[in-house]
Amino acid sequence: MKNIELKKRQLRKNSKKALPITALLLLTLPVVAEQSVFELRIKDHLFLPSVLYVPAGEKVKLLVLNQDPSPEEFESFSLNREKVILGKGKATLFVGPLQPGKYEFFGEYNPDSAQGVLIALPEAEWLQHKANHAY
Amino acid sequence: MKLYSKKAVVKALCFVCLCSSMQALADGRVVDKVYHPYVQPLEREFEYRYFYQRQADHPDNNTMGQKLGYGFSVAERAALEIYVIADRISPEDYKLTGYELELRWMLTEQGQYSADWGMLFELERQNNQDNYEFTTGLLMEKEFGPTSLTLNALAVYEWGQTLDAEWEGEFRAQYRYRWLPAVQPAIELYAGENYKGAGPSLMGVHKFDKQEQLKWELAVIVAIDNDTVDRTLRFALEYEF
Repeated sequence: MKNIELKKRQLRKNSKKALPITALLLLTLPVVAEQSVFELRIKDHLFLPSVLYVPAGEKVKLLVLNQDPSPEEFESFSLNREKVILGKGKATLFVGPLQPGKYEFFGEYNPDSAQGVLIALPEAEWLQHKANHAY
Repeated sequence: MKLYSKKAVVKALCFVCLCSSMQALADGRVVDKVYHPYVQPLEREFEYRYFYQRQADHPDNNTMGQKLGYGFSVAERAALEIYVIADRISPEDYKLTGYELELRWMLTEQGQYSADWGMLFELERQNNQDNYEFTTGLLMEKEFGPTSLTLNALAVYEWGQTLDAEWEGEFRAQYRYRWLPAVQPAIELYAGENYKGAGPSLMGVHKFDKQEQLKWELAVIVAIDNDTVDRTLRFALEYEF
């Protein structure tokens, strides 16, 4: 009887210790969700397309392909992203979930020519945009 | 529209509480840079850091330290930095006290998971005393709309001629509002051996030309317990090119 009580006490004590560890593990768990992928190309120091529409309110994946031989850096303060893409290389950026609106970006190596804007559309507008551009 | 969940905020706060509850023991300087877990390929920089402590009746009164470093990326996700360290510990004069080698390693892509992760490895040698300090730990950053929470949970191992070999813990946190590129206010928190402090900070970035920018940080950290020196001033400049 005494042993059972001791075991219970030990279990209660250990479960208290496990709480912060569980909290840490929860934090490290990746959030798995299906993400839409959008392609952005860099050619002749220009972003193509220079206007990119994405859905607001969800995380999106930007696949940036640098077709120039020189490196370029995708930079945007409003998106809180900066990423160097080596010449003839590619990089993946994860942005969002975004509020509906415009988010400007530029190429730090060629800021005068490499400029673009990402437009996050609310759900209804995004569905309309998709329908208009379906092929 | 819900853009970041309450659950994520709770998880981040749990991590802060977990790290704060760890035994914090460190002989060295606790107030220093709060590291972000990001590395860029082709990154090159010169860095200057300064700190000053003040409290008339405290043993650390009038302590001043400076660090000068040169850093560069060695791989797509790893960067090395080498520092020269100079300290003034009253009543002694200013002198070159050591060297440090630092490696930052970006573990996850920014925004890929619910939080971004990196690791830090530092090896410091104290001049003339044959003392060493090895620091390693996790760097974490999480976005909450226009704000970012950055946490550093570090373990420090010290050994040498005039030091008892021991493991210690350090914790740094920064909650930053990304207001304008040049002006980003933040709150910082530090915990280590005989040090628990928090205070406001201000940082920003100024671009000069293609690939050239100057980052700056200024913080005033005040004691939140009796053992801690009253006021610590922290300043840093980074010239990236």
